[in-house]
Amino acid sequence: MSMQADGRNVIDNKKSDIAISVKNLHKSFNLPTEHAGGLKQAFFNRLKGIKGYREQKVLRGISFDIKKGDFIGIVGRNGSGKSTLLKILAGIYYPGKGKITINGSLVPFIELGVGFNPELTGRENVYMNGALLGFSNKEMETMYDDIWEFAELKDFQDQKLKNYSSGMQVRLAFSIAIRAKGDILLLDEVLAVGDAAFQQKCNDYFESLRDKKQTVILVTHSMENVTRFCNRAILLNDGKIEIDGKPKEVAKQYTKMLLG
Amino acid sequence: MNIPKVWNRKNRILLKELTKTDFKLRYQGSVLGYMWALLRPLMMFAIMYIVFAKLLKIGNDIPHYAVYLLCGTSMWSFFTECTSQGIQAIITRGDLLRKISFPKYIVVVSSTLTAVINMLINLLVIIIFALINGVTPSWSWLLVPFSLLELYLLSLGISFLLGSINVKYRDVTSIWDVLVQALFYAIPIIYPISMVSQTSEIAAKFLLLNPIAQSIQDIRYNLITTETVTIWNYLDNHAVIIIPFLIVITVLTFGALTFRKRSRYFAEEV
Repeated sequence: MSMQADGRNVIDNKKSDIAISVKNLHKSFNLPTEHAGGLKQAFFNRLKGIKGYREQKVLRGISFDIKKGDFIGIVGRNGSGKSTLLKILAGIYYPGKGKITINGSLVPFIELGVGFNPELTGRENVYMNGALLGFSNKEMETMYDDIWEFAELKDFQDQKLKNYSSGMQVRLAFSIAIRAKGDILLLDEVLAVGDAAFQQKCNDYFESLRDKKQTVILVTHSMENVTRFCNRAILLNDGKIEIDGKPKEVAKQYTKMLLG
Repeated sequence: MNIPKVWNRKNRILLKELTKTDFKLRYQGSVLGYMWALLRPLMMFAIMYIVFAKLLKIGNDIPHYAVYLLCGTSMWSFFTECTSQGIQAIITRGDLLRKISFPKYIVVVSSTLTAVINMLINLLVIIIFALINGVTPSWSWLLVPFSLLELYLLSLGISFLLGSINVKYRDVTSIWDVLVQALFYAIPIIYPISMVSQTSEIAAKFLLLNPIAQSIQDIRYNLITTETVTIWNYLDNHAVIIIPFLIVITVLTFGALTFRKRSRYFAEEV
């Protein structure tokens, strides 16, 4: 077992059927109370004995285990802590209290097209984005044509990205993203991309993930997707787990909460 | 934190790609493109040469003063470019930090590597000018990379240290800008050190203890003319010579440690 610099324990235990284990996870942010972004303000705050920030508790004691092959939906209202949880699992935020164990390699998609630069061409952006996913130039070359094929943007390869429509950008990003291979995939709201035809492709992709028993954690607002792809769902409310169980029950509870 | 892990394949790919992108973007949209990497130091040099060597008549006692000046200004721009890019790196790459998990030092190193590439281009120009000026190639040229490395490590240390404070307190950028201006005049780049030593020996010796001054003078000595005043031939007390190197090691160690400690919260704070 090795403790990473980002506060997670990463192991590679083929025998264990647990993919992710989270125990009593807490996280809070220090939000500046007034504009405390400068040295001057920090100095005066210290003089006056003011902290200059307020502690916002985002996660308050979350525990769950995810089995290999699970397709888990994480749902909840805005500000319930879904994205924070995902970012901690991804190693982007440092956990406050608690223990996180990741068994195997984990590929996070917090957003599509991370590192995309409007001033670079589509081609250059593909290589850049691939590098962020851990692909070398050589590996990118072998899947290069497939990426453009899937995105249906072959004619735009050498155009600067700023000349793409936002829908085209997302399609390109999605085409790169689905090349990533990992034991566990973390997906944040990336289902809703493109037009109806492209949406169908995305759904096919998620179905293929489900069918080949890929471990996936999906953060979403769409109850339709939760009931369609997931075999388990977790509803977060105010930084705590409200309910953890069958997608249908969770969806029902969520709808009740929204109306409630 | 062990070295093989930090220097693994994934991180190497990322570092390479980020550096390439940084360099590309720098000259994106300009007609002359990469040529600016060459033109900028040459123009800087032309201005300084006219003002200092021709109008103010400084440095007539140093052979190859023009190349000597070019060398100094290029190395100085290397230092300023390296630090200003390095200090800003975490903020300019904030978008990446919030979206993916990777060792944060990579963005600092990649942004300073652009400055390294520019410096190497400049070095080529300096060597060509030196040869035209009648400087004879010598074995001492092989010592130049060590001084360049020293200057780079110092810049990296400063970038790590100030860059990690800059994430929370953006004032650092402005303070550093002013400091760099002041530092420029405290280093014998456009004036020969003899100008200082005429007034005060002690002050001149003190100025040379600055690792930037020491490394630039060493580069000039080894590359252009042995008439350059360096800590090795100017300071009698040889124990003191260790000071600039100690400064570099201290800044780098302290910078790296601070950066490592602060880096876990960059994604939240940036």
